[in-house]
Amino acid sequence: MTHSLTLKKPVAVALSAMVLFGALSLFAGAAGASPKQAPYQTGRYNAGTPNSSVVVEKDGTVVKYGNGSIVYILPSAALVDLGHALYSANCAACHGVDANGVPPHSAQTSYANVHAGAYPNLQGVGPAAVDFWIESGRMPAAAGTDVQAVRRPQRLTHKQALAIAAFIDTLTTNPGLPYVPSVNLKSASLATGADLFALNCAACHTITGGGDALAFGTYAPSLRHVPANQVVEAIRTGPGNMPRFSGNLSDAQVRDIVAYVTEYIQHPTNPGGLGLGGLGPVAEGFIGLALGVGLLCLAAFWVGERQ
Amino acid sequence: MSEHEHREPVSFSRAKATDPHMQPAAKDPVGMERRIAILFILAFGLFAAFGACYWVNASAWTLGATMGGGLLLLGVGLVAWGKYLMPKGPFVEERHDMASSSEDRDAFAATIVERGGGIVKRRPVLGGLLGAGVGVFSLVAIFPLLRSLGPNPGNTLLVTDWKKKAHLVDSTGRRIHVDDLSIGSAVTVFPKGYENDDQAQSMDQTILIRIADHDITTQKGRETWGPQGYVAYSKLCTHLGCPVGLYERELKLLVCPCHQSMFDVTNGAIPNFGPAPRPLPQLPLYVDSEGYLRAQNGFDEPVGPGFWERK
Amino acid sequence: MTDIAVNTKRAKKAQAGPYGKVGQALNGLDDRLGVAKGGRTFMDKIFPDHWSFMLGEIALYSFVVLLVTGIFLTLYYVPSSSIVTYHGPYLPLDGQKFSEAYASSINLSFSVRAGLLMRQMHHWACDIFVGSIVVHMCRVFFTGAFRKPRELNWSIGLTLLTLAIVNGFIGYSLPDDLVSGTGIRIAYSIILSIPVVGTHLAFWLFGGNFPGTVILGRFYAIHILILPLVILGLVGAHLGLLVRQKHTQFPGEGRTEKNVVGSPMFPIFMAKTTGFLFLVGGAIALLGAFAQINPIWQFGPYDNIAKISYAVQPDWYMGFLDGALRIFPAWSFHSFGYTIPIEVLFPAVILPGIVFTLGYLWPNLEARITKDDEIHNLLDRPRDRPHRTAAGAGILSLLFMLFIASSTDVIANYMHISLNEVLIAMRVLVLVSPFIGYAVAYYICKELQGVEKAGKRKTHNIVTRTATGEYVTVAAPMNVNDMHAELHAVPVPNYIEDDAVAASASSTAGVRTVDR
Repeated sequence: MTHSLTLKKPVAVALSAMVLFGALSLFAGAAGASPKQAPYQTGRYNAGTPNSSVVVEKDGTVVKYGNGSIVYILPSAALVDLGHALYSANCAACHGVDANGVPPHSAQTSYANVHAGAYPNLQGVGPAAVDFWIESGRMPAAAGTDVQAVRRPQRLTHKQALAIAAFIDTLTTNPGLPYVPSVNLKSASLATGADLFALNCAACHTITGGGDALAFGTYAPSLRHVPANQVVEAIRTGPGNMPRFSGNLSDAQVRDIVAYVTEYIQHPTNPGGLGLGGLGPVAEGFIGLALGVGLLCLAAFWVGERQ
Repeated sequence: MSEHEHREPVSFSRAKATDPHMQPAAKDPVGMERRIAILFILAFGLFAAFGACYWVNASAWTLGATMGGGLLLLGVGLVAWGKYLMPKGPFVEERHDMASSSEDRDAFAATIVERGGGIVKRRPVLGGLLGAGVGVFSLVAIFPLLRSLGPNPGNTLLVTDWKKKAHLVDSTGRRIHVDDLSIGSAVTVFPKGYENDDQAQSMDQTILIRIADHDITTQKGRETWGPQGYVAYSKLCTHLGCPVGLYERELKLLVCPCHQSMFDVTNGAIPNFGPAPRPLPQLPLYVDSEGYLRAQNGFDEPVGPGFWERK
Repeated sequence: MTDIAVNTKRAKKAQAGPYGKVGQALNGLDDRLGVAKGGRTFMDKIFPDHWSFMLGEIALYSFVVLLVTGIFLTLYYVPSSSIVTYHGPYLPLDGQKFSEAYASSINLSFSVRAGLLMRQMHHWACDIFVGSIVVHMCRVFFTGAFRKPRELNWSIGLTLLTLAIVNGFIGYSLPDDLVSGTGIRIAYSIILSIPVVGTHLAFWLFGGNFPGTVILGRFYAIHILILPLVILGLVGAHLGLLVRQKHTQFPGEGRTEKNVVGSPMFPIFMAKTTGFLFLVGGAIALLGAFAQINPIWQFGPYDNIAKISYAVQPDWYMGFLDGALRIFPAWSFHSFGYTIPIEVLFPAVILPGIVFTLGYLWPNLEARITKDDEIHNLLDRPRDRPHRTAAGAGILSLLFMLFIASSTDVIANYMHISLNEVLIAMRVLVLVSPFIGYAVAYYICKELQGVEKAGKRKTHNIVTRTATGEYVTVAAPMNVNDMHAELHAVPVPNYIEDDAVAASASSTAGVRTVDR
């Protein structure tokens, strides 16, 4: 099993120090008045799981929480000004200057747009959601009237994404949750991941992760090229029509799913030969009829007489 | 045709091959024989390689490639042998009528009708009793053959294990608390105690969705069924019983992954597209004093696909 | 032949008769069973050589592959739904608990030598088996080979198709993976939909409510014992009737209702057909080697009935049923306290019932319509029977569009259009397809009838101007490649009789040149 720890080494060292500090401060009972409420993962959610054993506060604001599986980090406040500029240039036209959303455009007449609205309110969606939409290249959107924004090459850098997330998080007094996750796949259970994937994910993304068309022009995107942290962000924030998996999956379970997705969904072993796109019987039937029966008919054409 | 006469005679036949029909179709039989020999040698080599691959436990594709390639070459060679090196033909054979002579036909019919009919007519009672015996046996034999295969349906298809005050638990048996799901979350739930039983899962599986943060009414008469934005519907599609596990958060639709029936969760899961004829039955919920979600009662109608006895 | 050879032969003759040890053995067999005369006739039996007559052989030989690979699989598969903990090389399943059936299927894929190849070959052979039966039946239908006296063999063939489809579905269900488990669930619900007896039938088959614990064992018995035996018996009957009635042939020079023109059974036909067996086996083995089919380890176990994957299609031959179920409107009939789920009953039971019943009745229906009670051994060209050809094309169009309708989601996903719109479009297409198929086929037939030598290259018309200024048009000779020497059919030459007989046979031979 390969471990795709996404943090660079110096950052990791720094984070470990912060984790240690946070843990110590918890033990020390450093529970000063917090201007922002503690993140929900520290509450009743995921009771019975080792979630949120780590909470780091700075100036009374929770800047980081998590555990051995996933660490959620608030983007640095130093980025807010940069984020504001980037937001104004790239996002404000649709989502509004205050990021409180705009009703559907008159061109958005599809069932999906009419029922779900468009240009949603971004206040309180949390840094992870902002980061997901930008880093997956979906935002800034290619066309605002699409039923569903498509994944495409990233328009803004990782740092720019964090900056915008930091800025949007300042627009509300309540904490936007969750923070930007960083998953540690060490000691993930592939078996649990595969099991949970079948129970929670396969109904839309298909069991091979290829994605497929859903109702009224929406679709479940393919999981084949999604980086690990974006999988976490999608699970925790529920982008678009995807349900949000918050209290019903623990961080350890999410980590297991991510491990299964990034290893076996994205790199299927295919011991039986060509994977045929993971399309199952549709592709198999095509190959069986066109290649199998078709070529054997041609063989018969050679074996027999033609007159 | 003169070229026939100049050809080498075929070697396998004892026939005096003066007949042009006995000539092989190949223009160059010796060359063809050589080519076929090469195919057979290659096939032989591939079969040996197949054996070697098996011996060293090589991957599946090497086994298939060597075996399949060998068979293919053997087949091409053998067909080519038959097609190019054996007598070219064409040959003809008479086709005889299937029908027998009219005397034979009459005699056969007479045997059946007169002999058989005569015997039965002479002993009508015996014939009737024999018929009755065989008939009764066939009828009675159906019982052990069919009836013992399985129980009668009874009310199995009409009821589920959801009872009054049943706790909603997820597939690991954890009780669902009202704070557990955020808006837009969905989870498959079972009545507590039945989450690990295949037989129970097949009837009880229910999907719990939180669609708002206030109580919601999906339909008249269901005012109290959706506390704090939670609704629960049977996860069995009313079309063919597939688990309706596909929830679209913004559209607020449950979609059946099998045949794409779509159910509106804000309106009693009435199907608004696809082949499903009925809404998904809704489970009435309440939040108990500790904050756990529980069922007010079982489903008020049978879950799953339609069948004859469904009222 | 040299003298030495003759001497040797004489020496052997003295000991073992003229045909050596083989001759002795055959004599021994004939003493006990009297096979010599019939065997000789059988060896000389003529089989027409047209390539389209070999399509059924693809089916026959893929059935042989099915039997061989199937026997291998039975040695490792365990039809049990009792729960075991799996340990093996595939990490996402290692340590999971699921049925022994699934565990043994995974085990034979990953831990048994050549097991995965055998499983994949078995599955590919099944896809090809059913596919070649369909292609073969199309040939039989469009050339009118089902007409008297072969109505019975047509019915046997149709039964074989039905049984192949049923057994294919049952075999697909045996591994107890997530996708096939969903398939069984759907099949169960389809049985439930049958009025009055549906619930009882379903409970008898499954030993109670879905999923029960006995269904895998029962499916196993049906899949490896009952249906293969029935299929084997019917294949025997199918071939027996073929031998008894002799094969049909296309009309042509020297071919009449009263003869058969082609190659003798031994050795020519036997060489070709055995070679073809190897070709079919080789093609299936190569598919099994290079194209992964039904990766059950990806699908995971059906250990939780609430699990589901999107885009679960059945194998291609069940596609028309799945498509019909998708597009049929939600029409349920409910009255007097009883329910008739027409939305399931019609597409999954009545529709295939109508199609197959029509298939069984077709030879009699056609004979009644055309008032044709004659024996037919010469085949029709499809264009010469435009109504039959058009009817067949109509039914095939309908089935094909239903088949396409089973992948509405895939179409919507790849063409980036709304799933709902695709589904509505398919409803329309399915309804109009038989009529379009009929009309198009009919007019193609009519057009082809007016064209001489259709499919042959046209010859030039050479226009020359004479010295007097006159224009003369002359047709150019036929393209050289369209001409070839062809012999008249002669009786089977006698390999073992003396020169005189062979010479007299050859005297009836002639050489003619025909255009192809």
